Amino acid sequence: MSGYLTGVLVVLAFNVMAAYAVYLPLAAGQLNLGIAGFMAIGAYGSAFLTNEYMWPMWAAVPVGALAAGLTGLLIGLPVLRTHGIYFAMATFALGQVISAVFLNLEVVGGAAGYPVTDYAGPNVVFAAAAGVVLLMLYISRTRFALELTAVKSDPTVADLLGVPVRGMKVAAFALGAMVAGFGGALYAHHYNFVEAQHFNVLLSVFTVLYVLFGGTQTVWGPLVGAAFFTLVPELLRASDQWRYAVFAVFIIVFMAIRPQGLVTAALFRQFRRRAPEASS
Amino acid sequence: MSTALEISALSKSFAGVQAIRDLSFTVPKGVSTALIGPNGAGKTTVFNMVSGVYGVDAGRITVNGVDVTRMPSRKRIGTGVARSFQNVRLMPHLSVLENLLVGQHVRASSLAALFTPYRLIPNHRWKREARAALEESGLGRWADETVSALPYGVRKRIDLVRATLAGASLLMLDEPAAGLNPSETNALRDHLKDLMAKGTTLLVVEHDMHFVDSICQNVVVLNFGEKIAEGPLSRVRQDPKVREAYIGSDGEA
Amino acid sequence: MVAQQIVNGLMLGAIYMLVAVAFTLAIGVLNFLNFSLPGLFMAGGMLAFGLMKAGWPFLLAAAGALAAAAFISLLVERFAYRPMQGGDPEVPLVSSLGFLVLLENLMLVQFGSDQQAFPALLPDLNLRIGGLVIGYAQLASLVLSLGIVAALSFVLAKTAAGRRIRTVAESRETALLMGIDIARLVPQLFVASAALAALAGILFAVNYQQVSPFMGEGVGFKGVAAMIVGGMGSIWGAVLGGLLIGLAEVVSISFIGADVVNITVYGLLLLILIVRPQGLMGRAPSREKL
Repeated sequence: MSGYLTGVLVVLAFNVMAAYAVYLPLAAGQLNLGIAGFMAIGAYGSAFLTNEYMWPMWAAVPVGALAAGLTGLLIGLPVLRTHGIYFAMATFALGQVISAVFLNLEVVGGAAGYPVTDYAGPNVVFAAAAGVVLLMLYISRTRFALELTAVKSDPTVADLLGVPVRGMKVAAFALGAMVAGFGGALYAHHYNFVEAQHFNVLLSVFTVLYVLFGGTQTVWGPLVGAAFFTLVPELLRASDQWRYAVFAVFIIVFMAIRPQGLVTAALFRQFRRRAPEASS
Repeated sequence: MSTALEISALSKSFAGVQAIRDLSFTVPKGVSTALIGPNGAGKTTVFNMVSGVYGVDAGRITVNGVDVTRMPSRKRIGTGVARSFQNVRLMPHLSVLENLLVGQHVRASSLAALFTPYRLIPNHRWKREARAALEESGLGRWADETVSALPYGVRKRIDLVRATLAGASLLMLDEPAAGLNPSETNALRDHLKDLMAKGTTLLVVEHDMHFVDSICQNVVVLNFGEKIAEGPLSRVRQDPKVREAYIGSDGEA
Repeated sequence: MVAQQIVNGLMLGAIYMLVAVAFTLAIGVLNFLNFSLPGLFMAGGMLAFGLMKAGWPFLLAAAGALAAAAFISLLVERFAYRPMQGGDPEVPLVSSLGFLVLLENLMLVQFGSDQQAFPALLPDLNLRIGGLVIGYAQLASLVLSLGIVAALSFVLAKTAAGRRIRTVAESRETALLMGIDIARLVPQLFVASAALAALAGILFAVNYQQVSPFMGEGVGFKGVAAMIVGGMGSIWGAVLGGLLIGLAEVVSISFIGADVVNITVYGLLLLILIVRPQGLMGRAPSREKL
């Protein structure tokens, strides 16, 4: 594999992990606009443990992910009292605060950035992304995923049927945060450098863009969305300075024509009609 | 006879307006009851308090012998009470079967149940049970359809199946016959009679008195949040207070 | 010194205030978090700069920039807002972000990514009151901003058009029943909020004498923060929020350092959202009716 192709695929792997981190709470109707903050917690956490305490990577990365998940849990409890646009704005603010905190933390280099010693090669990153995708596929086959959809679709009725609405939301949010932290930790070890400025609003917002573009009705949407957003700008490289403008026009027109995203549940049902025995 | 629902001295006001005033009535097990009264009498408010959507100002609510007055709304289904809404509230993007699976939550709420990959297991018992319940009500052919694509009458009855799967022994129905054509109404009536035969007790808010007459043995009449009469429909409709309450409204009773 | 910082904070807050009012019009009436507004803010500053470079006098250049922003906003309405009615509420947000990216990249292609110096309009005259130094340009923009917001508030509260807008904000169904032409009202609102954002961009360029294709992001996001701190959908809330955020920013820069701005500004936002989600002057969201 050429270095260029590997580089693009690594970016894809990181984007896929981030996309699923956004997807999980979104499946329950919660728009997380601060995913970059949770990635930063994973990245800095894992980097710090390997650098300063000589932890091995295989231990530091999960702990970084857990730290991000725990932050999601602690913040999720008060923040999830709010809903809709308020929740989105709270996560947005949270993402900004987290990356600003790291920008000011001198123990991890502050604004100058933080070099990371332990290196995770491309294959490790690919395996991690594949693991996240498999985990999501598994979750999508469970009652947990079904009830997340129920919570999104009609929280009042879900509550009366006994579904712990707030608990489901907090769980989805914290799990998503953990996935983000996991991706962030690997990011730190793959590029051997983290800087707070990388984990900014636009990273969060672009990740949301992948997910909505791919579609939130099925578990495949985020994967397709992330792949599209990573690969197409590369293909458009020929037109260089215009490529993001062209790309933006494409997003606008596409969302106007197909607001439900690229991959939808109805699309799957059509496939299933053609092969009826495959259905549940 | 044990009671399915006991309401005693219930009161509720909204922004100073007394919606329910010192209301008491009992729904014995097996005696399906209608809650009737002119618009704004407080019927839906009673439903909202029993299901826990609203808190109460004073009084006590007991379902199947369990005091639910201060119980969080999501726990109440565990005592055996479920409700329908005036406009059917199924999850529109999910299939019929998936809606029913959500209804099973109360009996499958452990962490292990939440993370069982039931969709990967052919003929998992949850799916089997839901399909069987649909077949039994003659709705089997809709199992894999998306809810939003179904006729209104079918959706109403799927709502009933969902409540049954949730293990409800007391079912509160908010205007079940509204918006249905005669054949749909008949199908609904048969469905309800079937549920009653199996031991479900109904509490029904309904304007169609023929419908009430055909499924309810007892009637509670509300007006301005107070009980003004109670008894079999034939007797209640002779009551001068009830006649007075309906004059100036639609005079249906 | 403290008084001077407060004055500076209020000046900056006036810019945030205009952006916050632009956001609050879109959210309060249309329930649309319009992320193209930071782009329109930037377009206001950049286009005014570009037109002046092409030899237009300032007022004409500003008018041209405002007109262009209004036109772009109509495109946003047509392609990001209108097709999404009835769908998931997140979707128009994505499309409006698409417009932000598009505008930034168009300006990038045209003017390059560097910060450009915006010509000083008024000679560097300052008003001195006691020990305070206040730039005329800044004072003029504060007065202009407050005047515009007051006028807008008057229009909303007292005129027939304002009543129509408030009705739509309360309930679309009621508005339809009352025969309000929503299809005509919506584009007008888009033009109004775009004009506010672009004007804020022009004032920013005049006050701070610099423009860049990415100037909209920081200010735009702080405008959102200001709107929420004040209370979504409330004009005077946006004013209060804008001034507060401006003050918090300037004061934390001068007493702690530039790097902590985001902690104080967004920490304030987060705190408000947890303690009082409806904002300082907003009304509590009502519970779902059954």
